[in-house]
Amino acid sequence: MSASPSTTAPPAATGAEAPPAGGSRGAAKRRTPISRRGERLVGYTFMTPWIIGSLVFTVGPMLWSLYLSFTDYHLLLGGEFIGVENYTAMLDDPMFARAVKVTLMYVLLAVPLKLVASLAVAMLLTQSRRGIGFYRAAFYMPSLIAMSVGIAIVWKALFAGGGPQDQFMSWFGWEGGGFIGNPSVSILMLVLLSVWTFGAPMVIFMAGLLQVPGELHEAAEVDGAGRWHRFVHITIPMLSPVIFFNVLMETVHAFQLFGPAFIIGGTAGGPAWSTLFYTVRIYALAFVDLRMGYASAWAWVLVLAVGVVTLVMFRAAKNLVYYAGEDNR
Amino acid sequence: MMRNPHGLRRRSLLTGASAAAVLAAAAACGDDGPAGTADDPIEISFEWWGDATRAEITKEAIALFEQKNTGIKVKTNFADFPAYWEGMTGRMASQDLPDVFQMDYSRLRQFGSTGLLLPLEGVVKTDDFREGFLETAKLDGKLIAVPAAGNTLGLIYRADWFEAHGVTPPAPGYSWDQYKADIATVTAGLGGGKWGGGDWAGQYHFMELWLRQQGGSFYTEDGKELAFDQAKLAEWWQTTADLYAAGDVPPVETTIEWTEGGLVQDLLASEIGWDNFMPGSAPVVEENGGTLALAAPPSLDPANLGLYLKPSMQLVISAATEQAEASAKLIDFLLGDPEAVKILGTNRGIPATNAGLENVELDPYAQAVLDYEASVSQYLTTPPPAPPAATGAVEVKFGELYQQVQYGEMTPADAAELFFTEAATLLANEQ
Repeated sequence: MSASPSTTAPPAATGAEAPPAGGSRGAAKRRTPISRRGERLVGYTFMTPWIIGSLVFTVGPMLWSLYLSFTDYHLLLGGEFIGVENYTAMLDDPMFARAVKVTLMYVLLAVPLKLVASLAVAMLLTQSRRGIGFYRAAFYMPSLIAMSVGIAIVWKALFAGGGPQDQFMSWFGWEGGGFIGNPSVSILMLVLLSVWTFGAPMVIFMAGLLQVPGELHEAAEVDGAGRWHRFVHITIPMLSPVIFFNVLMETVHAFQLFGPAFIIGGTAGGPAWSTLFYTVRIYALAFVDLRMGYASAWAWVLVLAVGVVTLVMFRAAKNLVYYAGEDNR
Repeated sequence: MMRNPHGLRRRSLLTGASAAAVLAAAAACGDDGPAGTADDPIEISFEWWGDATRAEITKEAIALFEQKNTGIKVKTNFADFPAYWEGMTGRMASQDLPDVFQMDYSRLRQFGSTGLLLPLEGVVKTDDFREGFLETAKLDGKLIAVPAAGNTLGLIYRADWFEAHGVTPPAPGYSWDQYKADIATVTAGLGGGKWGGGDWAGQYHFMELWLRQQGGSFYTEDGKELAFDQAKLAEWWQTTADLYAAGDVPPVETTIEWTEGGLVQDLLASEIGWDNFMPGSAPVVEENGGTLALAAPPSLDPANLGLYLKPSMQLVISAATEQAEASAKLIDFLLGDPEAVKILGTNRGIPATNAGLENVELDPYAQAVLDYEASVSQYLTTPPPAPPAATGAVEVKFGELYQQVQYGEMTPADAAELFFTEAATLLANEQ
């Protein structure tokens, strides 16, 4: 996950490196149709492990969970088809509103903060300075280890009562103790953990920033534009496809946060349900309460919600994202 | 036709390999199975929850078992309590349980009622258990577990702190109000970040005790419903409200961070708890310069303490085992072999068999537990039937909702209402 986005990121400016593809494909087809088919077969053959893997480990379980969401399936006792009862029950479930609230709060806090932080650092790290490679590596490092169990445990210690955060903040008159025991701020622990791990979006931002044509800045400078104006009127528009990509990826990931929340807050989302993330609640429903059917319904509502959010973002992007080289802005 | 010698060689290799695999599988599934000799041993698995100390002595006992039964190898594994049950739940669903494993009374019905446990009548030795103990290992009259050790609730307290602040040692029949007054006295006396007692209202076992003292129970006899009403629960959750408001018991912000518990961390003067925990904490408390003692828990009725002898843990055999005999041998050995009993000591509680009781070496703390159990023996009443399968989840919910009350996020009445909704769902879910 940490390495691939940099390769799948849309290039900031579509260069002219690839000739129009249609012609050459047509030519190849005319020339050697049989060997093309053979090639395709070879291609699929090489893909079989992944095709089988995704069918068995992703598509299959997903369809199964979709079926389960219409049953009252109990992990041990099995279940029967009950129609949409699970979905209607969610409307009356006070825990549903809780989990949605916690998750939305996290998404709304963590995603913007993380993106602002990663853009700021990316701008610092695209300057040409001595030893810049070291800094790039150093800032990327946290994202490699962040989702590990070890870091979640370190985080717990950092935010314990009397721990570093408590001591530091009490110099400034803070009396709330460690974040771990304080439900009104405990979610900030996870927000900070997320912000700290800005490595992946940072690398993508850096790639984007390096693609912004230098002559645009030079021209603007000649016209007397200051740093801020150049940032707002050149960097941001030229970077908008990359920003869109990062917002999308980070939002989708934020909705699915589980590991650190589970380790820090436990299945009960402690303290006092303040870290009761949607995914944590799904886990508790499935593996503590053993209500697989109901948990599956929860999971599918999350899938739908993330889908809707993604769609809305794509709609909004039509007006907000500027692709250089396209005129229909 | 030897155009591609490599291909051919590869194919013959594959054939050979699959033939070998088939042979191996046939051997494994054959009628005879492993011979159970030193060269071809039977392998069984044994898992438990607990800490490193328990693991060390358990493995020592297992080594002795393997030495005495050369044809049997035991594969062991352990985890702490929550992780253990999370793992077992998943493996229960996938029918992948160990041959022998440690069982908790509150989970017995969940496992037993779905046919996952081997009926043990005539399989393991049952003639040597202490009186009344075997009853708690039965589910609807069928023996599906054996008690490894027993415990009962008590008040574990710092005798030195109680004495230093002029509090009379608690005796059977001690009232809840007296206990509250004593907590306030000790907290005031200790001052500064130490407390006379812990908040007991978040534990469903303690509420069960309190209900039993009033002649009630937590679940109805058939285990399908709660045997009290919302008002009763709200009342229970308020039993510590004044102590909590006055700061006489530690606030939840503090206790949520305790990793080893208030007694061990030298911060708490008393706690209601299972008596077999006392010997575990006592050595550390002694290092801190204190003394732990055991007394009967507070009661509403001096004649009825609500106590019963509960199996602290049980041993069970998976119904799917292919090695019932070897598994039973292991259980008999762990519970009855004099040397094994000596190695295992009282780590799991006071032994459940007479042989265990005779052979166990008791340190002063374990002796104190035994003395305590003897002192309340006249108060011990019939244990409740094995709790419903949803108990594990209900217990978690009970604690979660009380935490809401502690943080002031919910009133006791609101929390009680939500608990009833959730508990009803969970109980209905198992039927």
